[in-house]
Amino acid sequence: MRSHFGHLVLYSGIVAVFFAALTRRDRREQLRFGGLVWLGMAGGVLLLAYLMLPFPR
Amino acid sequence: MADSRPPGEAAAREISPARAALAVAVGWLLPGAGHAMLGRLRRAALFFVLILGSFGLGLAHDGRLALYNDKERFLTGLQLLANVGIGPADAFARRSVYGEVAYAIPQESDPTYVRRIETFRKRQRSAVSAYGTAYLWTAGLMNLLLLLDVWDIAMRRKD
Repeated sequence: MRSHFGHLVLYSGIVAVFFAALTRRDRREQLRFGGLVWLGMAGGVLLLAYLMLPFPR
Repeated sequence: MADSRPPGEAAAREISPARAALAVAVGWLLPGAGHAMLGRLRRAALFFVLILGSFGLGLAHDGRLALYNDKERFLTGLQLLANVGIGPADAFARRSVYGEVAYAIPQESDPTYVRRIETFRKRQRSAVSAYGTAYLWTAGLMNLLLLLDVWDIAMRRKD
């Protein structure tokens, strides 16, 4: 797979599920925490990319 | 905080430090196996899939299997630690990629020098190598974190 966005979604998904399972025991808490981690990673990258838009290479 | 479980149950779940160390060692040998040994089977299965899945993605995307370099000891040492965290799977991967279980850049006079360096650089030049490296190192680091989790569970610091 060469899609940067695809890797962003997949990688942040793996990390989010891992940390949710590692640090939370309650299923609802796991979903909440995992979702927040995933959104933080994927959303943070997209936000950063948007902020960098005015600065082309 | 006091243990709220009945004394019999708490005693039954007591694990000796030797068994805890064994669980950590088993967890390093096979991701998730430490949790399985402590009876956390569902979590063990999930961690096994996540870590070996990430490792497989890393290999499939030409991830860098770090080689220790005397000129950059600190950084290459950390990279190697992240790789080796996955356990013996790293050694199998190195054997398949480099043709031998190699962990360092050999001396220039060594007959394996050219082949090893070229293999390393060829993978590094791949368009997807950066992704692969992230998956590989993440897999190793996640497994190292799991070992701490196994120890904490065994020592009853965590459920």
